[in-house]
Amino acid sequence: MPLKESEAIVLRTYPMREADLLVTLFTRLEGKVRGVARSAKKSKRRFGGALEPLTYVRALYEDRERQELTRLDSCEVLESPLATEVTYARAVALGHVAELLDELLPDREANDAIFRLGLAVLGALRGPAIWMPVTYFELWLTRLTGFLPDLSECVACGRDLNGNRAYYHALADGLMCPDDKRLASSELSPESRLLAAQMFRAPIEKFAGELWPRERGADLRKFLLQILQRHLEKKLVTAGMLEKVSG
Amino acid sequence: MSRFAEPMTRLIDELKKLPGIGSKTAQRLAFHILRSSEDDAEALAAAVRDVKASLRLCSICNNITDVDPCVYCSSPTRNQRLICVVEEPTNIAAIEKTKHFNGVYHVLHGAISPLHGVGPEQLRISNLMQRVEDGQADEVILATNPTVEGEATATYLSGQLRRAGLKVTRIATGIPAGSDIEYADEITMLKAMEGRREL
Repeated sequence: MPLKESEAIVLRTYPMREADLLVTLFTRLEGKVRGVARSAKKSKRRFGGALEPLTYVRALYEDRERQELTRLDSCEVLESPLATEVTYARAVALGHVAELLDELLPDREANDAIFRLGLAVLGALRGPAIWMPVTYFELWLTRLTGFLPDLSECVACGRDLNGNRAYYHALADGLMCPDDKRLASSELSPESRLLAAQMFRAPIEKFAGELWPRERGADLRKFLLQILQRHLEKKLVTAGMLEKVSG
Repeated sequence: MSRFAEPMTRLIDELKKLPGIGSKTAQRLAFHILRSSEDDAEALAAAVRDVKASLRLCSICNNITDVDPCVYCSSPTRNQRLICVVEEPTNIAAIEKTKHFNGVYHVLHGAISPLHGVGPEQLRISNLMQRVEDGQADEVILATNPTVEGEATATYLSGQLRRAGLKVTRIATGIPAGSDIEYADEITMLKAMEGRREL
């Protein structure tokens, strides 16, 4: 079969046999693809640092007849997370992006919008600030995967929530007005809803210069993660680690 | 029904659990053991038993050892105030091969890996901090792997160790000796340029 060439983001790798790596790539051409990088653990010649998670690469791979796993021929690094300092917070944020993409994307289904989102967020995660890129990524990913409910009306009665208080609950399908909120609901602040509206209208670069302490948009991130984890029916490993990141 | 007698099948199954050993290799090894003398088979069994029974972690550096403290931590000829931090005990052998490092070690038994849920609290960092706080070190060399996980671990540790007012250094990254610059990947080249030194 002919070699395929595509831009890709490396999502994660697993050791396989003695010296091989099982690699999950998010390719622009075909979406999520799993393949084997032969001898990648032993010899760094062909792959170098290209198989580090969240490396943006140009990948050459070959599908094999009647085999699910592709054969990864080579990867050329286009941009590496190792080019700038990898702090603990940044490593957790990068891991979070990788885990969400890996868990949410179906195999072999191209999605250019999510690919471009991934690249934009990786660019924003070059620096030490993580909360803005993480918020932007979670918000847009929830929307692009079709899980984001309407933020402007109550899911129970349809009342307009603009200018009113809004609540969310792990078992509710969207935001609720004060009259319909469930027991132990949490509030999604008007500031965070405004932030979401702004993020839908502007590219990520527009928010780069703003001050983003951890508290800003924290309720929005919690709301989004609740939706995503409910859909995945599992807790995300990196979500717990993000909670512990300070600053 | 199994193709081999039950004890043979059991041995093959156990050997297959070893890294890099498939069914055929396991069968070859099992038949080799069967054909070898009683003494050789017994020596192999005893060696496997002993490795589990007598090896433990050094209470100072977490290296795998049969005596506590380990040979490095108890050596009077080594510089006990120069600590090299590594991810795994196997990394020590690579550094020892150079015959140029005369300090001691600290093994973390892993690296920060958010995707696997491994944070700083899962690593053996507390007794490193204890060594530093007890004034047992002048310099700490961070020799974690030059991967995203290793770099995150090194950055985290350097922040913690600098607070103790210590000299903290990181091993260099760059072009391997004997290789050709033409074939170096972009990141290796970038790191090599960043880490250049004056001659």
